[in-house]
Parts: sequence; C-alpha cells; structure tokens
Amino acid sequence: MVYLTRKVEFSASHLYHNPALSAEENRRIFGKCNNPHGHGHNYSLEVTVAGEPDPVTGMVLDLKELKEILEREIIQRMDHRFLNYEVAELTGQIPTCENIARAIWNLLEPKITQGTLHKVRLYETPDLFAECYRNGAPAR
Amino acid sequence: MSGGLKVELGRRYRFAASHRLHSAQLSPEENFRVYGKCNNPYGHGHNYVVEVSVSGTVDPATGMIVNLADLDGFVEREVIDAFDHKSLNEDVQAFRERVPTTEYVCVEIYQRLKHFRLAKLERVRVEETSNNAFEYAGEEIQDRAAVRQEGKRQ
Repeated sequence: MVYLTRKVEFSASHLYHNPALSAEENRRIFGKCNNPHGHGHNYSLEVTVAGEPDPVTGMVLDLKELKEILEREIIQRMDHRFLNYEVAELTGQIPTCENIARAIWNLLEPKITQGTLHKVRLYETPDLFAECYRNGAPAR
Repeated sequence: MSGGLKVELGRRYRFAASHRLHSAQLSPEENFRVYGKCNNPYGHGHNYVVEVSVSGTVDPATGMIVNLADLDGFVEREVIDAFDHKSLNEDVQAFRERVPTTEYVCVEIYQRLKHFRLAKLERVRVEETSNNAFEYAGEEIQDRAAVRQEGKRQ
C-alpha cells in the first residue's frame, strides 16, 4: 500500500453560535469565536489517498484528477465563503475544525474511486488541526 | 468500508528547555562516544514543539471533541509549566533516573497527559528541532538497560 497526500488551501470566515444556548453560555463556551460578525482563517487541507500503484502508470491515482476533485468539491464550495451561511453541508452545525474536516471527508469519500480516501487533515491555524480517518485504519 | 469515522483534534504547544545526555550506566568515554556534543557537561537547549492528538465524540451542541481552553489549560499545567525554561535533567523528577533524550521526553509527556478526562489521548509528537521528531502512542517500552544488564550476566 502506498499513501499519497495532496495539500490545498482555502480562506473562509465562520463564527461559533448555538441558538439553543443563551447568549451568556455561547460566550462562555465559544469565547471570541462567538463574535456575531464572524472572523476568518487560512485553512490548509491535507488529503491522503491509499492504494497500490498501477503497474502501467506507476500512479495510485492521477494527481491531476485529485486536484480537480479538490477544486470542485472543496475549493469552489468553501474558498472565500462564510461557512455558516454559504456551505449547505455545514447547515445546522457549528463550523469547528472537527465538523469541517468531517464534512470534507463526506464530500470526498464517494468521489475518490481510484485508491481509497485514507485521511483528511484540516489545519485551521498552524497550531490547530482536526483529522478524520476510518476506525481501525493505521494512523500515518 | 471498515469502521466508523474517527475524528481527532491536534494541537501544537512550545517550550524551551536545556538538557544534557549522560548515562550513569556508561563510562565517561562511552558517554562521549554515544552522545557526542550532547554530552557537554554544561548542557545545551532546544525550542521543543509538542503536538498532542486527542479523539472523542464530536458534541453536536458545540461541534467540538473538547473545548480548546480545557485542553490548553491541562497541557499548560501538566507539561508546559513543568518543562518551559527549565533544565530537564535537574528540574523534572523523571529525568533524574532517565536520560532526557527526546524519546523519553515524548514518553514522559504522554504519561503526564494520558489522564486527561475530557478526551482520549491518541499520541504525542515532540519536535526537538525542525529536523528531529519523535512520536509515542502508549506502546509498551522495553527496558533496554535491563536487557543489557541481563546480557552481561549471561
């Protein structure tokens, strides 16, 4: 098995607010992320695909195809968007790094048909990231 | 697909500390041969980066595995306060018995963080410099000194 990772970046804004909680609770739990006007990040996304290299091409999958999938499924959806209001996959969820990473996993998994999606790692800042993978898959 | 989807949160912290690599079980010559300039009796320092990964259920009310303020507070108390601007050999009890290589620094940090109650500690990664990184996920550590002593007795 070979693991191939491609990185893309996007910039987006968000805010954390749960309408089921009081204003005070929202402020206590989410702190400055609760600012009603939102704030933004430069997100960095690492997508890892696992598979066997094709004996003819030597590729697990065509990188160009992966690049196009990421452009279509993620960049066009999320880049320069307000995640709370403009991304249907996050409707009704707090757009934390955990939830965005999971939404990205769910968008990409059915689209990757050569090899299998192994891991999604999403950096919100260089010091904070969330990671998704299948239970039982080797961590790498 | 095999199992369900697992979500982890990763967070990076920093501390600066000094250490000296010197084993009481080795002669001065062996220490110098094994550790080279890291055996300098006055010690030297690094800017360490600690990457902590935890897993758990994403709470639908908050979208979080764990509130970052709680994780940050725990890591600050258990690790950063104890290690930052310290001599690892002199100021951290564990390194009075063990050589403070980054392998053992990584294990010691894991031991200090595994009691976190709000999420499951998955692994600890320690970068000693931007070119050296070590990871530990709680595997059993074989006591090689004991193995070596055993070998000498045979």
